[in-house]
Amino acid sequence: MQETDLHDLSDDADYAASIQQGSSSMMGSDSSKRSSPSEPEGAEVVYSKDNVTIHPTQFASERISGRLKLIKQGSSLFMTWIPYKGQNSAARLSEKDRSLYTIRAVPFTDVRSIRRHTPALGWQYIIVVLSSGLAYPPLYFYSGGVREFLATIKQHVFLVRSAEDANVFLVNDFQNPLQRTLSSLELPRVVSVASGPSTPSPVSDSPSNESSSISQVNGRQRLKVHDPARDISIQVLEKFSLVTRFARETTSQLFRESHSNGFGAFEKRYNNQSVEDFSHKASNDEEKTVDEIPVAPDPLEVDKLTLVWGKPRQPPLGSEEWATFLDNERRVMDSKALRKRIFYGGVEHKLRREVWAFLLGYHAYDSTYAEREYHRSIKKSEYETIKNQWQSISSEQARRFTKFRERKGLIDKDVVRTDRSLAFYDGDDNPNVNLLRDILLTYSFYNFDLGYCQGMSDLLSPILFVMKDESESFWCFVALMERLGPNFNRDQNGMHSQLFALSKLVELLDSPLHNYFKQNDCLNYFFCFRWVLIQFKREFEYEKTMRLWEVLWTHYLSEHLHLYVCVAILKRYRNKIMGEQMDFDTLLKFINELSGRVDLDAILRDAEALCICAGENGAACIPPGTPPSLPIDNGLLHFQQDDEVL
Amino acid sequence: MATTGNKNINAKLVLLGDVGAGKSSLVLRFVKGQFVEFQESTIGAAFFSQTLAVNDATVKFEIWDTAGQERYHSLAPMYYRGAAAAIIVYDISNQASFERAKKWVQELQAQGNPNMVMALAGNKADLLDARKVPAEATKVYAEENGLFFMETSAKTAANVNDIFYEIAKRLPRVQPAPNPSGMVLMDRPGERTASSSCCA
Repeated sequence: MQETDLHDLSDDADYAASIQQGSSSMMGSDSSKRSSPSEPEGAEVVYSKDNVTIHPTQFASERISGRLKLIKQGSSLFMTWIPYKGQNSAARLSEKDRSLYTIRAVPFTDVRSIRRHTPALGWQYIIVVLSSGLAYPPLYFYSGGVREFLATIKQHVFLVRSAEDANVFLVNDFQNPLQRTLSSLELPRVVSVASGPSTPSPVSDSPSNESSSISQVNGRQRLKVHDPARDISIQVLEKFSLVTRFARETTSQLFRESHSNGFGAFEKRYNNQSVEDFSHKASNDEEKTVDEIPVAPDPLEVDKLTLVWGKPRQPPLGSEEWATFLDNERRVMDSKALRKRIFYGGVEHKLRREVWAFLLGYHAYDSTYAEREYHRSIKKSEYETIKNQWQSISSEQARRFTKFRERKGLIDKDVVRTDRSLAFYDGDDNPNVNLLRDILLTYSFYNFDLGYCQGMSDLLSPILFVMKDESESFWCFVALMERLGPNFNRDQNGMHSQLFALSKLVELLDSPLHNYFKQNDCLNYFFCFRWVLIQFKREFEYEKTMRLWEVLWTHYLSEHLHLYVCVAILKRYRNKIMGEQMDFDTLLKFINELSGRVDLDAILRDAEALCICAGENGAACIPPGTPPSLPIDNGLLHFQQDDEVL
Repeated sequence: MATTGNKNINAKLVLLGDVGAGKSSLVLRFVKGQFVEFQESTIGAAFFSQTLAVNDATVKFEIWDTAGQERYHSLAPMYYRGAAAAIIVYDISNQASFERAKKWVQELQAQGNPNMVMALAGNKADLLDARKVPAEATKVYAEENGLFFMETSAKTAANVNDIFYEIAKRLPRVQPAPNPSGMVLMDRPGERTASSSCCA
């Protein structure tokens, strides 16, 4: 009872308001059927819809709205989608982006199919797939009109609903409608369009495929309704369209690599793993349990996806390469390229001190070395001032200052049990343990409303380990807490919104597993609480934690990659979880005991693949303002944490 | 709830108490026989199980170890709900932790299962020199509130197995027939007073 109350966001006022806000923006002006003077002579606009929008990235600010039209010229029907000019001036949207996505008069003879999507939450959208196999990004109909769009097309060209999927409309499919079903739209064909017409499909040589039809290049026709391979091919096809800009980069990169290295990039990852690898053992365990209890198959088998999507991890960024990112005054010239590089490989340890300050937002990427030095000195004295606020409390004063005493007591208790097995924090009277305490106590004065909360010492420990310097560590911690602070809110709203988003992502990316959790009363996802609260700090060895954090902090594919990491781990163990019929207790125990047994690189690859595949649909699972996104500015940024004790 | 079958009892047990009172250390001593000086704080919750043989049955404890900070208080009900037993832990060298323990007792009396077996553990009993909570007064408090009370030390293992063992003996046996009302069995007449006020 209590549980559902805690985690059901449907009656959460803020969440409802944010949804409402979203829907009210749908009511934008709609100037249907207004013909434009720029149409060619003899052309007739038979359909026009405003506020048809594409979502190139997960960021709402980067969405591009435009007008979708159907134009009839002679006996031919064309489709155009032209983005509005001058929109989004504040956004980073360039003219180049705008023209990249523009659809200029595509004749319907080139269109193979249109798929309609009606998500439970959000706008209806369509995906247009061309005969060449290329798919346009999803077109979101903010002002409705999908039905009218399809009806108009039907008046002018041969449009038939797919026998297999009522949401798929085949265009010009009069030769043999049954044979040209979507099962023929196999991934390799689509991919080869993106990578150039003559690229052979490396996927077809991948060694691992029972449901191999997605890796057959030459369209094998599959008409069985419950053919999982067909489902995968449809899904992968659509994901391909969903992924837009990032995917294009990733895919082309991938194909460059596979071109140059033969098929090396597609080797089955596990073959390279050492015998000691725990997750390998665990996956053997999984196989055993599969024999015992039948488990619903994974709709997006991670292994297959990572073969296609998850890029092999790169070595960490080293000094020489780092220097190439800097200009002569040591500004970071291309922060996006830097973040991308770190996303795929992390940073060598000796560079972390310098690089983390950028990733966390303590230093601006475009600051010069001299500016940073100056910033550092200003911040140092600022830190000293705040620190002095509690240092100057006399014992007489403390006696009458319960909140201070309790806060200090709590911090004292926690710092002596934070990473003490590490040499850096080891031994009696270790000065670094005192630094942890001083920084946390100073933070609890800097952000008195939030105060100190268990878990914060876990977040600070690696930062101090890397930065060494007290003031630098403090400010980097402050920057991290700007994003993760809501994890520690007394009302738990930051945690709830993340666990809620996680449940939505699992529903999207592995519905059998979602249904399993639902049936077993596990939908609150509390078994992932520790993962999310302290960013997997207790799940990996120290060095791996630092690697994971720097990857997460790039916010390269998503601000919420950590949620995809959760999904990736759950998917790795899904067969074990469902096969052994774990209930909530057993699941929590199992998850806690995974600590130290998860292969980070493999999981990051999976998480990347899942994030790309989920695309827009994934981003739509995550309510606005979900940490580590910056909170939505509601004018109440700093409110009192109503805490009985602290 | 404690569930029985063939004298095998499954009992959910929850540990509650202030930060750093030693909840995790007690469980780890009981379940794994281990003690670490700097046991890391519990984030969220942890789950353990351990089986004990008492004279008439086998009791399998399913143990929920919780985070101590007040900030995480709102999560506690989902762990103590349906528990057959609770150990409320305080640190004998810390008066505030005892005050916090009393609050947990109140909350369980108000919210919990009336048949729940509640034990009060004054932990860190090895720190005699630093004692702030006198044992005598606590004993009186425990008797008044129907709690079973022991001072324990996860460090030296003193009374750790004993407290779980005592709880196991006090768990209601629903079967067989002689005890249809599910009354608490008293194995030790001396402790009858303390336990009989349990449901008051």
